[in-house]
Amino acid sequence: MSFVPGLGLVRGMALTLRRFFEPKVTNLYPEIPARVPPKFRGRLQLLYDEYGTLKCETCFQCAQACPVECIDMGGVDTKGRFAIHWGPPETYGERREESALRRAGRTVPDPVYEHFHGIDLRAVDDILHEVDHDPKEMLRILAAIQAEYGYVPVAALKRVSQSTGAWYAMLYGTATYYDHLAVGAPRSTEGDADAAYLGALDGSLSGRSASTDSQAAGT
Amino acid sequence: MTTIRVPSSDDPRVMLEEDIGVFEPIPPYPPRTEREAEFYTLGDGEMFVNMGPQHPSTHGVLRVVLKLEGERVVDLDPVLGYLHRGVEKLCENADYHHTIAYTDPLEYVSSLFNEWAPVMAFEKLMDVEVPRRAEYIRVLSGELNRVASHALFMGWMALDLGGLTPILWSFIERDDIVEMLAALTGQRMLFNYFRIGGVNGDLNHEFMSRLGDWMSKATEQIEANQTLLNQNEIFVRRMRGLGTLDRETAFRMCMTGPNIRASGVPLDMRRAHPYSIYPELDFDIPTRQEGDCLARYLVRLDEIKQSLRIIDQCLERMPDGPIIAKLPRLMRPRPGRAYAAVEGPRGQYATYAISDGTDQPFRMRIHDPSFVHLQAVGLLTPGNLIADTMAIMASLDPIMGGVDK
Amino acid sequence: MLSRTFSRLTLPGKIVFTAVPLLLILFAALTAAVVVAGPVVLTFLTDNLPLVRFVVATTVVLLMTIPTAFLIIYMEMKVIALMNLRYGPDRVGPFGSLLSVVHGLKVLMKEDFTPTGADPVVFTWAPVVVYVASAMTLLVLPFAPGLFGVDMNIGLLYFFAMGGLGVVGLLMAGWSSFNKYSLLGGLRAAAQIVSYEIPLTLSVVGIILLAGTLSINQITLDQSGSLFDWYVFRQPLAFIIFFIAATAEANRTPFDLTEADSEIVAGFATEYSGMRFGFFFFAEYVNVFIVSGLTVALFFGGWNAPFDWPWPIVAHPDLAGMGIGLLFALAIIPPAGILFLGLPFYLVNSRVKFWQALVIGFVLFNLVAVAAIVGLAFVSFDWVVGLLWFLTKTYAFVFTFVWMRGTLPRVRVDQLMGFAWKWLLPASLLNLFVTALAILVVDGMR
Repeated sequence: MSFVPGLGLVRGMALTLRRFFEPKVTNLYPEIPARVPPKFRGRLQLLYDEYGTLKCETCFQCAQACPVECIDMGGVDTKGRFAIHWGPPETYGERREESALRRAGRTVPDPVYEHFHGIDLRAVDDILHEVDHDPKEMLRILAAIQAEYGYVPVAALKRVSQSTGAWYAMLYGTATYYDHLAVGAPRSTEGDADAAYLGALDGSLSGRSASTDSQAAGT
Repeated sequence: MTTIRVPSSDDPRVMLEEDIGVFEPIPPYPPRTEREAEFYTLGDGEMFVNMGPQHPSTHGVLRVVLKLEGERVVDLDPVLGYLHRGVEKLCENADYHHTIAYTDPLEYVSSLFNEWAPVMAFEKLMDVEVPRRAEYIRVLSGELNRVASHALFMGWMALDLGGLTPILWSFIERDDIVEMLAALTGQRMLFNYFRIGGVNGDLNHEFMSRLGDWMSKATEQIEANQTLLNQNEIFVRRMRGLGTLDRETAFRMCMTGPNIRASGVPLDMRRAHPYSIYPELDFDIPTRQEGDCLARYLVRLDEIKQSLRIIDQCLERMPDGPIIAKLPRLMRPRPGRAYAAVEGPRGQYATYAISDGTDQPFRMRIHDPSFVHLQAVGLLTPGNLIADTMAIMASLDPIMGGVDK
Repeated sequence: MLSRTFSRLTLPGKIVFTAVPLLLILFAALTAAVVVAGPVVLTFLTDNLPLVRFVVATTVVLLMTIPTAFLIIYMEMKVIALMNLRYGPDRVGPFGSLLSVVHGLKVLMKEDFTPTGADPVVFTWAPVVVYVASAMTLLVLPFAPGLFGVDMNIGLLYFFAMGGLGVVGLLMAGWSSFNKYSLLGGLRAAAQIVSYEIPLTLSVVGIILLAGTLSINQITLDQSGSLFDWYVFRQPLAFIIFFIAATAEANRTPFDLTEADSEIVAGFATEYSGMRFGFFFFAEYVNVFIVSGLTVALFFGGWNAPFDWPWPIVAHPDLAGMGIGLLFALAIIPPAGILFLGLPFYLVNSRVKFWQALVIGFVLFNLVAVAAIVGLAFVSFDWVVGLLWFLTKTYAFVFTFVWMRGTLPRVRVDQLMGFAWKWLLPASLLNLFVTALAILVVDGMR
């Protein structure tokens, strides 16, 4: 503040006018990529040794130790026999519980299978064995499961994911994409999808909860 | 008063409209306390304005229900919790090393101090001696972060008063520092750099060269940026005498940091409860007597200069040696409790941790200065205009990540 | 068969299929109308030339607002960016100059949304009122000698009246939006503009006394002569008051309280989207232009040059005298010029293909032609010179407004009102009093 009124404003204006002609500091990003510091930790990356083989031994220590549980990995074990997979990202909650229990030294129940006792997974195992647990044969596996059960059970999908190392999310996406695969509950036999929808609509119009109605109509 | 027709059902397929009567969005529930009942009763000629959580200048997701009489604020009710992440509870389920990653994003403008307090508490819990080089690096990076935070404060302050330019100029300062810290820690914002017993990495060449570049021009650049605001009649007239917080009230509101120093109390954790190597360093604690928004702004400017002094001294006296104490990978401290407080850019940032002998903290409590300072908005704002609400809130400098935890 | 063919067409095909016959019919009808009613209309128009002038002027003024607004929006983006040490727009067009056009297109394509509870009629008409009020003000601005919409003898009064009309639009927008931020913004706009109209008008009264007229054109003519005939040297205090009040009148920083984004989100425009918001946006920038133009016309000599050309070039090429030769020249010069300018590239550099050389020649010829035409106009018509000076001065003031926006924070609403009533109003009254006294004394001495 000075004694001349408005002098501060004029000084500020002079400063901005000087900056108007100064060189600019913006990084022109797409043309000039940002410089990444050598210690930058933004990306998870698997390292290879000098012979070109993967250094990762699939011990899952990183996935267990990750505090925000963002590491999701799958692979083949050291002897090249089994494809193994550390839980899919959809099961964050379960895994969090799991890792908390594991760190507290208690036994860890396997919640993935608890909700899906309904089906017998031996057929899935047979199918997987036939294709040698190869995730590249995914469509064949899914088609075989569809033929076996009449639909694709979620438990089977989880089993396939765990066994082949394919991501559950990709698997689910594949299975729900194709028309000849029915994921989840078996498709109702009659052409009553419209009836179920209308029933649900009636139910919600008359004030009942829509979800219970649609369940009732669906089963 | 208008009657509103809204979709009646939760079911998105059903688009029936029904009358819900007179449109009055606040409050959606019967009042829970007397204060709420009093606040949500409108007097003659008063109205509510719901400011936030999506508002250009509420610094994140703070919601403030303003009771207005024309342009004048009669009363206000801050509503918190839009950014609540349950960090304290998460920390109880993580082991001591993981805790740092959780507390990091609390006050996302000055992350290093969020790491410093829990790390210090755990070191007390485990009786760890931190190497001197590690302490110097902590102080160095911490003061850099303080300068970045205060520089950003200047910009936000001006932006809330309608100035477009200072925010971008202060982002230049901040970006210099943040790039420098990225060279040191690996990240630009959530550094995750301090470890129990030391720091994650040693000073490297890129950091030092960037720091040298910046230090050579920092003082004059910050001075130049200030001339836009310090001498500006509009700015000074708006800030002077606004939201005056006297000494006693500041004490009673448990204010810390620059906000209480602007009210004339030279309270600084670095001197009041010395930690790390601060007793060895030579710096002043700037105070102001006025206690208004302008004083809070000027105190922060003075603090930038003091921080630059500290950085100079750190660079001068940086000892050699290890940067982290030798510690077991899995840490199970003896049952006990520890409290540690550091002086962050916004005030006292403290952690209180209880160990029960396992490798996870049994209980962890975080004291955040922004939360405490936000109380003062309710005290300072009534009687002022809407525009002053912004100025007062900006001058207290709360960060909603820290408020909501 | 026709309907089947039509139904199989693509959408552009359908449009062309319907539009072409319709256009043909329209053209035929127009031709018939011209043939039948042409002479009658022509005699009517020649009898009522002021009417023709008014229609043409309003059309031109309405059309002029769009490029003006685009230019000022681009200026605002670029200048503030450069002051912030950014680059600003630099992707669309040369130096990003087409970004404001893209913004305009974006605004056109966005959903035009009316909030629940708003008063749809008032809500829809508010931007129109604001836009028309600001565009109509352009009518009385003298751009160059002889180049103005209407030379009203109450030009200044009309100007301030139209400025006051804009407030009605802002109030309508604020009230009808069913939003308390909008309401606050509208009321602020009303209070602010009504308060600042008074010092704005009073500061100009000194000039009116000196010039003895309300017509802006006459006031501009009064300032012709040397640099020191400009009113800014005779009425410096009035200029300062006028400039401050005009800033408030145009809702520019530091007086942009009506749309204070950090306080009341966007003020009266909070609930607006799409082209209705675009109208507010355009009106704001047209207002900036108008206010700058008026400042120039009243205080800085309008289209008068600050100094005489030391080497006066005045030529009056008699194009009509060339007769049919003009047509031949028009037919021959462009291809010849293109070939003449393009061929060297083709002949010198073997990698340049012929069509590329033609394109280069075309571009170069266009540049040369534009330069030649502008130069010809410059030496043959003095309104071109006047327009150039007027626009230069006006855009200098537009730059000042943008510069202020890049520098200054916003004042508080009570400070704003206090400034108007406690400082500007007494100062303008003092200015008026001193001016009147001086005139009296000078006249008495005569």
